[in-house]
Amino acid sequence: MPSGAFVVHWDDFQGLLVKKRYPDSLRLNEKSLNLIYYEHQQGGEIGLRNLKVDTLNLASFTHKNYPGWIVCFVLGEGEDYKVNEKLLSGMGRFIVELINVEPDLVDIQEILDDEIILAELEEEQKLATIFITPSAAILLEKMQQEGVEKAAKLSMWLKNQTQTEGLDIREVAAPLLESGVLKVERIGKTTEAVFLVKDVFFYRSPPVEAIKYSLQTMPPIAEEYIEYVTNFFSPPPPNKGYNPTIPDDDPNSPLVEDREKTSALLANSFHYQILNVLRARPMTVAEIADVTNLPNELVQKVLWSLESNKVTVSLKGTEHWALATNPTLESFMPEYVLPIISRKVQQKEITAETATRYLEILIQNWGEKK
Amino acid sequence: MIRSVYILGQQSNLVYSKEYAQIESKNSLIEYLVNLTQFLNNIDLEGKIEYMNLAGTRIFYKVVPDYTFIFVADKADDTEQIEEKVDQLVDVFLREFGHLASSGQPLEGFDVKVDEIAVTMVKVAILGFAGVGKTTTLHLLRGETLPLIHDPTIGVSIKKLPEEVENANIVLWDLAGQSRFSILWAKMIANAQVVIIVTDSTLENVLRSKKLVTLVKEEVPDAKVIGIANKQDLPTALTPERVGQILNIPTYELVAIDISYRDRLIQIIRKAILEGKAEAKPPPTT
Repeated sequence: MPSGAFVVHWDDFQGLLVKKRYPDSLRLNEKSLNLIYYEHQQGGEIGLRNLKVDTLNLASFTHKNYPGWIVCFVLGEGEDYKVNEKLLSGMGRFIVELINVEPDLVDIQEILDDEIILAELEEEQKLATIFITPSAAILLEKMQQEGVEKAAKLSMWLKNQTQTEGLDIREVAAPLLESGVLKVERIGKTTEAVFLVKDVFFYRSPPVEAIKYSLQTMPPIAEEYIEYVTNFFSPPPPNKGYNPTIPDDDPNSPLVEDREKTSALLANSFHYQILNVLRARPMTVAEIADVTNLPNELVQKVLWSLESNKVTVSLKGTEHWALATNPTLESFMPEYVLPIISRKVQQKEITAETATRYLEILIQNWGEKK
Repeated sequence: MIRSVYILGQQSNLVYSKEYAQIESKNSLIEYLVNLTQFLNNIDLEGKIEYMNLAGTRIFYKVVPDYTFIFVADKADDTEQIEEKVDQLVDVFLREFGHLASSGQPLEGFDVKVDEIAVTMVKVAILGFAGVGKTTTLHLLRGETLPLIHDPTIGVSIKKLPEEVENANIVLWDLAGQSRFSILWAKMIANAQVVIIVTDSTLENVLRSKKLVTLVKEEVPDAKVIGIANKQDLPTALTPERVGQILNIPTYELVAIDISYRDRLIQIIRKAILEGKAEAKPPPTT
């Protein structure tokens, strides 16, 4: 287990700055910091790695979303970082995420003592990252029309759309590939094909579980809670409630805007954690802080942010917060691609081998397991 | 650069002033600013920052209840940056010193805050292959005694120039020249306003250093690039003119172990900073 840790931030004007350290007696010099930075730059990869710098045995962590930050855990001499790899990565993730939103709330000692971690992205968070990456979102739209397309052709199309030279299709499509929405495979010797494996639908659903719980165990809260949710989804006429099925082909559609905003909340780990615990039942700030291991101040701020997006609601006369709407991202099999594949084979846009492989991929992902 | 900062009260009285550069006809300027403040008190700027050009300077002003804040800056300065600094100063003053000013007490500690806001930071990167004298150049600029043992730089060594130049803190980045650290160079010269490419004035090293010029021009196209023909005391040294021709950048002679070159080098950096500013795009007129 680490006996200490420090957080280093790269600044274009001041170089490497130690932003946090524990214990205070930990001494670091410019050369050591430079070596740590150099090793990370040289390796190129992100995540956790082992470094021996001066007399220190370090496990140092970097996060792809925060390239200027390095969290270094001080291990015992000869201690193998792999033994606690998951824990160290989780703590590293927690530290970089928190230091970027509330630097004053980062307490390294507490994090090490209580082993506070941040889990890796959940499935729905991965799907959410698609809609907060504009090029990934337009690529998904294109793939909904094409089903399967040559990577080179897609790359050209995207370059024209975004007017950007030197686009790396794999980089742009990263949220789609990581969430399993797209798959890239080499077909034959020269063709690299991109397949649409899943489609994604966003909507807000009523927080059924939390309402059920409040009806059973919190009757004084339940009435106001149900009234709020009812008003959002089906208010009395002539008001119109929430309707996720209105056409969203207009880029200015409120549904598209809502999907983007809410996806940003889902993709944010602290917002997601809090939203996720409220799916089960209404809770007070202190209860949420206790369950999530997040500082009270942060929980309060996140709840306000979720409230302004109509995701949470503060129940009057109590200290409870509840989920007002449950943001949901569901993936489904894109059945509509079947006639597209058929047409493409007939018109010789794709080979029979590509079509066969596409059907195999769909069966692998969506077929019933024997 | 920000040349001076003034805060005037409701009666157009001078509440605070700080000058960072010598001002010709200072009294006339103050008189002008007092008149300007009287005029501004009669119009509504809706809390916005406005500016006007006066000779080579640009006067930025913002009016808040009871006070008018005025920054005198160079015309070539980035308008948005100066406006940001005006806002920062207004914010700090009203939050921490407004009550002292209104009760006529001395604004203790305000000078430091003004310096923090008005004094800018300029990054000067010193780049070159191993052993050409980059760290010696850094020591020379800092007026330090040379260490007796050569200790190769690891990654980068970042030090401040002891004195301010053109109202800016100069941060010197002495980049490690060993080839294994070359992967860091592009990242480390980011945001540099001036890049000094140091050569040891041998033909072989100067030819190799052409690569560095290309790298700098690609990575920081807005930076001023200057060449240093170091080790001019050695018999094999190419002349600074010849080094400059090969590198195709303005190049100056140096003997980094000779302290008498210090002032000259600082003047070269000062000139590069000023030229860099002058070449910056003119801000849109309002």
